[in-house]
Amino acid sequence: MNRRGFLKFAAGGTVGLAASPVIWNTLYDAVYWTQNWGWIPRLQKGASEYLPTISKVCPSGTGIRVRLVGGRPVRALGNPGNAMSQGALTALAAAETQLQVSPARLKTPLKRSPDGAYVAISWEEAEKMLRDKALEARGAMACISGDPTSSVNEVFTGFMNAMGSDDFYFMPGEELPALKAWSLMGGQGRLGYDIEHSDFVLSIGANFLESWGTVARNRKAFSAGRPAGQKPALKVAYAGPVQNNTAAGADWWLPIRPDTEMALALGVAHLVIKKGKAPFRIGLPAFAALAERYDPATVAKLTGVDAARLEAVVDALLEAQKPLVITGSPLGAGGAAGPIMAAIAINILLDRVGKEGNLVDLSFPSPVVNGATHIRSLLARDLVAWTQAVAAGKAPAPKMLMIYDANPLYALPAGSGMAEVLDRTPFTVALASFMSETCARCDLVLPAAMGLERFDDACTPYGSGQFSYSIAAPVVEPFYEARPAGELIIALAQELGVDLGVEDMPQLLHKKALSMGADFRALTESGGVFTDDAQRSPVVPLFNTAALQAAITTPAGSSDASVRLAPVLVLGMGTPQTAIPPFATKIIADYQLKGMDSVAQMNSATAAKLGVRQGERVKLQSAAATVTVLVDLFEGVQTDTVALCAGLGHTAFDEFSRGKGINITTLTSVSREPGTGLSVWGGAELARA
Amino acid sequence: MSEIMDFRIRWGMVIDLDKCTGCGACMVACQAENNIAPQVDASNKLRSLNWLVVYRLSNGRAFPDHEVAYLPRPCMQCGKPSCVSVCPVIATDKREEGGIVSQIPPRCIGCRYCMASCPYHARYFNWYDPKWPGDLGRALTPDVSTRPRGVVEKCTFCHHRWQKAKDEAIANGRDPWDLPDGAYVTSCAEACPNGAITFGDLKNPKHKVHELSQSPYAFRLLERLGTDPQVYYLSRREWVRRKGDNYLEDEPTAGTRRG
Repeated sequence: MNRRGFLKFAAGGTVGLAASPVIWNTLYDAVYWTQNWGWIPRLQKGASEYLPTISKVCPSGTGIRVRLVGGRPVRALGNPGNAMSQGALTALAAAETQLQVSPARLKTPLKRSPDGAYVAISWEEAEKMLRDKALEARGAMACISGDPTSSVNEVFTGFMNAMGSDDFYFMPGEELPALKAWSLMGGQGRLGYDIEHSDFVLSIGANFLESWGTVARNRKAFSAGRPAGQKPALKVAYAGPVQNNTAAGADWWLPIRPDTEMALALGVAHLVIKKGKAPFRIGLPAFAALAERYDPATVAKLTGVDAARLEAVVDALLEAQKPLVITGSPLGAGGAAGPIMAAIAINILLDRVGKEGNLVDLSFPSPVVNGATHIRSLLARDLVAWTQAVAAGKAPAPKMLMIYDANPLYALPAGSGMAEVLDRTPFTVALASFMSETCARCDLVLPAAMGLERFDDACTPYGSGQFSYSIAAPVVEPFYEARPAGELIIALAQELGVDLGVEDMPQLLHKKALSMGADFRALTESGGVFTDDAQRSPVVPLFNTAALQAAITTPAGSSDASVRLAPVLVLGMGTPQTAIPPFATKIIADYQLKGMDSVAQMNSATAAKLGVRQGERVKLQSAAATVTVLVDLFEGVQTDTVALCAGLGHTAFDEFSRGKGINITTLTSVSREPGTGLSVWGGAELARA
Repeated sequence: MSEIMDFRIRWGMVIDLDKCTGCGACMVACQAENNIAPQVDASNKLRSLNWLVVYRLSNGRAFPDHEVAYLPRPCMQCGKPSCVSVCPVIATDKREEGGIVSQIPPRCIGCRYCMASCPYHARYFNWYDPKWPGDLGRALTPDVSTRPRGVVEKCTFCHHRWQKAKDEAIANGRDPWDLPDGAYVTSCAEACPNGAITFGDLKNPKHKVHELSQSPYAFRLLERLGTDPQVYYLSRREWVRRKGDNYLEDEPTAGTRRG
């Protein structure tokens, strides 16, 4: 090759190379590979499908559509076909597909060895252990369930009744005091709330836009009543010690002191009567005489709410066409029946009970499992009264305790006696999806399939305005060796010769749906809700002034050096059963949790009283415990009050929950509500330690 | 970039702050949809990574006259984005129909100029490698690539959902450039149980956002900077609207300036 030839070749090669994609592709690949490290997960492609079901981790059974890619659940989306949640989603339900594969999931049965460590065992061994212990414990079995909406409770009670045991309890919730209050005020069934047809909701302590009742449905009603950019058709007033999520959506905030819901409700009743708006009913004079004592000045003294502000809210309440007054407890459990009775009395004064947009009386479903206890009887039982009796030796300890989808050791307050019950019971078994604090104290831990992995149902969650029924159908195989708890107990019953009348959970749900006139197949295929307005009974409410008066307590005040605790519930932080979902750590604000410290919010007057500054780490003590928290100044808290988030302070689960903040139920103690005798908690007097 | 970039379609959001109660469902839905890794400790907000953050606003008054509101903040997809003009490697750009400011992580060299220039703090740096401990990686969606340590990322208005909506329109014989209202919505707007976030084409009168963005209660964040955001906010409360910009004490609250 001569010089000219070489230059031609070189020039041609350069131009050719530059014109070809080789250089650019190589450069692109080089850039790509600088970021394509082996430890960064690759995306798994696959065909997408969307399967409807309901969320069983969200307490109100929110309807969801699960997106699966190649059979893997990747997203929980709202299901517009579900008439209850109408496509809305809660922060907890939105995280369900991630919870399904979270590090806290239990993978295999675990047995506690004598040294306290847990060892994995086979299902055969676990089932044999369960069977042997059940036979030993015949007549002395107990069960705690954390899911009051599910028909699986019928399986448990049917089995236990056949074995001669009746100690079945639900974890405490809003429904127990509501049932008590409603029956005392003339209700026959369960208390329902027709929120979507109301045009004014006065919420006294019920965090109904975040955690109370059928949250997704409540918020859909809120959304429909307040179209974007338009004048709201639905007005909301919220009474509570903290400007929480519900207060953020409310037109009025009535800043009451903790535990003064009853006084505020009677103050509202006083003004309604005084303004001459209450029609005559039997019992009104006696109730009016009680309410007479709660004039705005007295209420201001008791609750801390300015009289003019209270009057403005009552005026708006009276102007509304379809007002509704609701109440709730700050922790969603441990509430008293008194404030609920007082709220029912206001609704009677407004002449709205049983009418559109107000309180309704809903019937209970009948059991379909042989020998099962009726749900009404179960809902009326007070778990803490039982655990305290067992702890005090006033009731016999069971020989076997089953704990299903519940975390009582974490969720129950100081003095509940739960730890003592676990200590005194020779054999404890947890059926759970996540390694909770309660699981970490049980002799046998069985991995339960989550709602996405099993057949289950939800019948009329508390707060619903209609008799409702929806079915959870599995969208994915159970995680590792998890099994549906219902199937496990049905199989155990069959082995022990107990005829429950059902072969498996689908058959149970089919019978259940049939018993109420619902279509099992249609519900599983659509993820929809069966509702039946015929299950709404006419109600003749009563002013049960004697019961109301008996439930009145003097609000516990604070001394010159102490303040009161105001718990704040945020659904995004999970439930005691789930703890904090992995994706929820980012939605927890730094005024709720900072590093590993819970943050105590208080206004500047309270901070001055306690002698603390913004960001300071302080020790606070109640009668039950001492905790260390960080101070955050926030003017949306009543004076002499400290707001602390519930849902923190876990000692089990995974790295997303463990060791973060404090569990505020340890600060509160149990007392008995006068009159009703219900176990109540949630408040505490705090002082600097 | 000196001129406001305009397009035939202008995807935008109108967020009604009177409806938002700060539950965080939008943030969870955003993380799940866009494969944003969970963080064990996300309480240090300078080191946690979100495409969408819900801030708590205060009217600044003492108890009992205090009021609270919540403000979800995605990327504003500015008409005149401060981030685009400073990116030395064109990892972020605004040149596609729809007006979404792109972000291409493989091109990003992690200089973080864009973060410094964004007045909305909408951009986040991957300080750490993303981790999905245990089996969590099984819940990754197939739509959005995972990003490594050392690059910047931000909200894309769930751009992959637009691609999907266009594909569906083409498959069904409809015009992909004239999608009906609701055919393409972001994950956060879809998840909001209060209906606080409305998404659509700001220029299309058939889309709800078009009307909402004209509301007398509408405002945009830091409008006087001239960034022309495609995210509008609504509030009937004046103190909330005043939080949208740095007003002098006696300065009247301005209405929305349209770019």
